[in-house]
Amino acid sequence: MLVPDFVPAIIASFYIPAVYVGIIIAFIGLMGIAIEKRDIQILILTDIVGLAMLIIVAATGTDLAEALILPGLVVELAEILAISEILVSREMRKIESKSDKEIQTSVLPLPLTLDMEIMTTAPNFIALIMIGFGIFLTGFTGGAVAGGGILLYIISRKSRGLPIAIIDGISGVSGIAWCLWIVGFVLFFITPELWLLSLFMAACGLVLKVASKIGLIGTMMREEYKRE
Amino acid sequence: MIEVDLFFYTGCILAILGSLATVAGPGVKDPIVRTFNTEIAAIGVSLIFLIYNHTLALMTFVAATAVITLVLLRTITRLEEMGADV
Repeated sequence: MLVPDFVPAIIASFYIPAVYVGIIIAFIGLMGIAIEKRDIQILILTDIVGLAMLIIVAATGTDLAEALILPGLVVELAEILAISEILVSREMRKIESKSDKEIQTSVLPLPLTLDMEIMTTAPNFIALIMIGFGIFLTGFTGGAVAGGGILLYIISRKSRGLPIAIIDGISGVSGIAWCLWIVGFVLFFITPELWLLSLFMAACGLVLKVASKIGLIGTMMREEYKRE
Repeated sequence: MIEVDLFFYTGCILAILGSLATVAGPGVKDPIVRTFNTEIAAIGVSLIFLIYNHTLALMTFVAATAVITLVLLRTITRLEEMGADV
C-alpha cells in the first residue's frame, strides 16, 4: 500500500486533482512566458509557475509538504528580488549609454509624501510588539513577523539615508545566521540526542536571516518613497 | 454543513481562473493589472493550503505574497519612471 493508513481517505482522494491542477497551472504559466516578450511581464508570470510548484508540493498533504513549501517560498522571493534588481540596473545602463541625453536620468519615482499622524506615533509600539512576538515564535514565521515589524518601522520613520556600515552589518548578521542554521542541521544528524539544541540553533538562525532580509526590503522601499 | 470538498474545488477553480486571467485576461498589457491578477490565483492556492491544514505554510505564503507584490510594484514604478518598455 503506497498511502499509509493514518492518512485520511479524503486527503488521499485530493491528491490526483491537486496534481492535475498544478500541471494545468504550470502549463498556462509557461505558455504565457513563451508568448510574452517583455521582461517585467515574464517576471510577473514566473510568480504563476511558482504557485503551480506550491500546489504540487502541497498535494503530498503531510508535514513533509509543509517543510518543503517554506524553502520554496524563500527561493521564489529571493529570485524575484534578484531579477527585479537586475532589470532595473540593466535599464539604467541602457539610459546611460544613450548618446543624446534627452531622457532624464532620474531613476527614482516622484516624491511621495505620506503625512499621516499614525506613521509618527504608532510604529514604535507596533514594531516592538511584532519583533518581540517574532523572536518568541522563531523559525521562518517568526522571521517574517519580526521582519514585518522592522519594515513598518523603517518605512514610517522620517530620517533617510542608511550608513553603508549598517548594510554591511546586516549582511554580516545574515552570514552568521546561515552558519548557525547549517551547524544546527549537521548536529541534528551527527548527535541526534542534542536535537533540542540543534533545533533552536536552526530556528534562531532562520529568524535572524529572514528578519534581516525583510528589513533590507524596508530600507530599499524607504530610499525610494520617502524622499522629499 | 459545508463540505470540505467545496473549499478544495473552489481553490482549484480560483487558481486556474487566476492564472488564466494573469496570462490572457483583459488589460494585462498593463503590468500593474497583471500583478493584481496573480492575487486571484494566490487566493486559490491559500484555500488549497487551508484544506491540507498547512497552517505555517499558509501564514508564510500570505506574508510572502504581500512582500512579492511590494517588490513587483516597486520595480514596475521604477521602470515606468525610467521610460522603459514595460
